[in-house]
Amino acid sequence: MRTEEIAVTGIGLVTPGGIGTEATWEAVCAGRSAARPDPTLQGLPVTLSCRVPPPEKRPGRLWRHDRGTRFLLLAAEEALASAGLAGRHWDPARVAVVVGTAAGGIDTLETQHRKLLTAGHTTVSPMTLPAFLPNMAAGHLALELGVRGPSLQTSTACASGATALITACLLLQAGACDIAVAGGTDAMATPLCAAAFAKMGALSRREHDPGRASRPFDKERDGFVLGEGSALLVLERRRHAEARGAGPLALLVGHGSTSDAHHPTAPHPGGAGLRAAIEGALADAGAHADDVDHINAHGTSTPLNDRAEASVIRDLFATRHPPVTSAKGALGHTMGAAGAIEAALTVLTIARGVIPPTANFEAPDDTTAGIDVVTGALRNQRLGLALSHSLGFGGHNTVLALTPV
Amino acid sequence: MDHDHTDIYARLVTVLSDKFEVPADRINEAATLDDLELDSLAVVELYVTLQEEWQVPLDDSTASGDLTVADVSRAVAELLGDPDRGAA
Repeated sequence: MRTEEIAVTGIGLVTPGGIGTEATWEAVCAGRSAARPDPTLQGLPVTLSCRVPPPEKRPGRLWRHDRGTRFLLLAAEEALASAGLAGRHWDPARVAVVVGTAAGGIDTLETQHRKLLTAGHTTVSPMTLPAFLPNMAAGHLALELGVRGPSLQTSTACASGATALITACLLLQAGACDIAVAGGTDAMATPLCAAAFAKMGALSRREHDPGRASRPFDKERDGFVLGEGSALLVLERRRHAEARGAGPLALLVGHGSTSDAHHPTAPHPGGAGLRAAIEGALADAGAHADDVDHINAHGTSTPLNDRAEASVIRDLFATRHPPVTSAKGALGHTMGAAGAIEAALTVLTIARGVIPPTANFEAPDDTTAGIDVVTGALRNQRLGLALSHSLGFGGHNTVLALTPV
Repeated sequence: MDHDHTDIYARLVTVLSDKFEVPADRINEAATLDDLELDSLAVVELYVTLQEEWQVPLDDSTASGDLTVADVSRAVAELLGDPDRGAA
């Protein structure tokens, strides 16, 4: 039994679909893929990525921040404005920052390492470590916001953003803060990451048809498309939000976290860890599988992930078949940001009563059949309970359960 | 102002303004880097930036916030073998 309800009161999104919540929502609802040939990846085995378009409004002090931190700062501005906190009318000691990332400031690290090797140590920036270290996106965000509550980063690979939201939820329920600015960020469309993911066979090779490369649950899926971006949610105890006059967008009513203990990168073939995380989230929410009206799936478009995830959805929700969406068909795989981006999209799905489609899903194969993948057009449907799934290398599984207010 | 002797200074002003976001109207030869609110990391980053810009071995171990814009400009000019180029 949860002691305090946790409300989502603000959202900020910076994704390959666009800068801002509305741009991202529109891209996902239109089923429009952001995958393009990427000039920075030329010469590598895979040269596709989903990039965040150039921002119209750039955050300040660019030289201090890794690309992923710049996304984070942009997302924060929107999230706080959305929560009615743009004026920072808060006690800074009671505001927490929790950021998920898979790779920290990897773009900075790769850039500075190239400089070290090609131009010598004297050209290495003094900001290399402050921009790269895996805690520093949260550090910079706390600095920019001037908040002095707990600030930390979570790293559970591609579940990191969801883990950050769970951590923020726990901090709020423990009374460690009154407001938590939480989410994820990553900018891993770098040469080293692309080469490494290609080497392990994780990336789509559909370079002749970029717009159809990321195709979650589809029979012709052949890997993910490397993406980047950030999402931040403002979380508060519901009573705190209502006391300051903020209208919650949705409630975070449950969460589950498990580990596969199976393989460094492959999910458990039967999805045992994911299933346990879903069951944990439902129990935490005091709900049952038949209560679930929608699933925002992890849905990477890799053969192994989608097979395991479809297996769990097919078995656990056998009597009700909730509609399933993977945003990765449109946005690619935004790595440590994905869990937060998809949680934000789930909040919007609940708040707006509209379920977005899965871009590029045309037909399942035997391993992904039997689940209700939303395809083609939006579905108008009022939701009672929705889940957002995230899985990460290392066998991490996280599930968030969200409801309308 | 002799344009031939001001290119380093002009470029320094551009770097301070564009990269370090110092308001252009606050930059003058007598202003120290402290005056321009460059912290210790920014001072070293400025030296690294100028070193790359001019391809000179500008020693950032000598960098400090006490230096003026003219001092920095002059240091680059001396490494280029033309002390006069650093002055406005």
